[in-house]
Amino acid sequence: MATPKSEKDLHLPLSRVKTIMKSSPDVEAVGPEPLYLVTKVTELFVMDLAKRAHKNSNANFLEYKHIADIVQEDDTLDFLREIMPRKITVRQFKEMMAKKAAKNGDDSSEDSSEDSSEDSSSNNEQE
Amino acid sequence: MAEKLEDLNLPLTVVTRIVKEALPSGVSISKEARTGLAKAASVFVLYVTSAATNIVKNKKRKALTGQDVIDAMKDIEFDRFVEPLGEALEHYKTMASARKSASMKKKDEQEDAEIIEDD
Repeated sequence: MATPKSEKDLHLPLSRVKTIMKSSPDVEAVGPEPLYLVTKVTELFVMDLAKRAHKNSNANFLEYKHIADIVQEDDTLDFLREIMPRKITVRQFKEMMAKKAAKNGDDSSEDSSEDSSEDSSSNNEQE
Repeated sequence: MAEKLEDLNLPLTVVTRIVKEALPSGVSISKEARTGLAKAASVFVLYVTSAATNIVKNKKRKALTGQDVIDAMKDIEFDRFVEPLGEALEHYKTMASARKSASMKKKDEQEDAEIIEDD
């Protein structure tokens, strides 16, 4: 018996997509027609996102951050923001916090940031 | 029926293949990027399903149809997928009816056989 060609032009496994769909609350029956389209559109989505990220990268190496940037900047991708946060190193985080603290220091409001930065109040002898 | 966490993931190898076909040859993709895209795809399935289910509920129906999925695209602001999905639906219906007439022909040819169609 020949497998219908329509199922061969998809890459993603229908059974897995169906499992995911059924884990959604309020879903009742998932027939083959909507299953096919959801699978199809998910593939289109992956291609679309990959292409945009690649354009964003301007290189021949696609990295996570190229995708995360797109997700954070495009409101239609809001649903992905929690699972694809921008990632920064601990050092970058500390620098960010230091900048914040320095900014708050200008308003002379007491901030709770302990380890602001290296150029703090150690050498007060020189003005 | 036990639902393992892996069952909600899409296979990384397949996602990689899709991405490679979409990008020009010679582009390499980090593992983190590929994993991220696979996760994004799973979440997208849920997102589309939820949007399509809302449409069905508002129309007081129960079973999802292909058209519901297409209509959902407008609700989630992915209008750019409406046309390709419309074509995919046409393609699917053509294939499905071709399959049906082929199996009905077979049914006529097998006088005693009972054909049970699944799902």
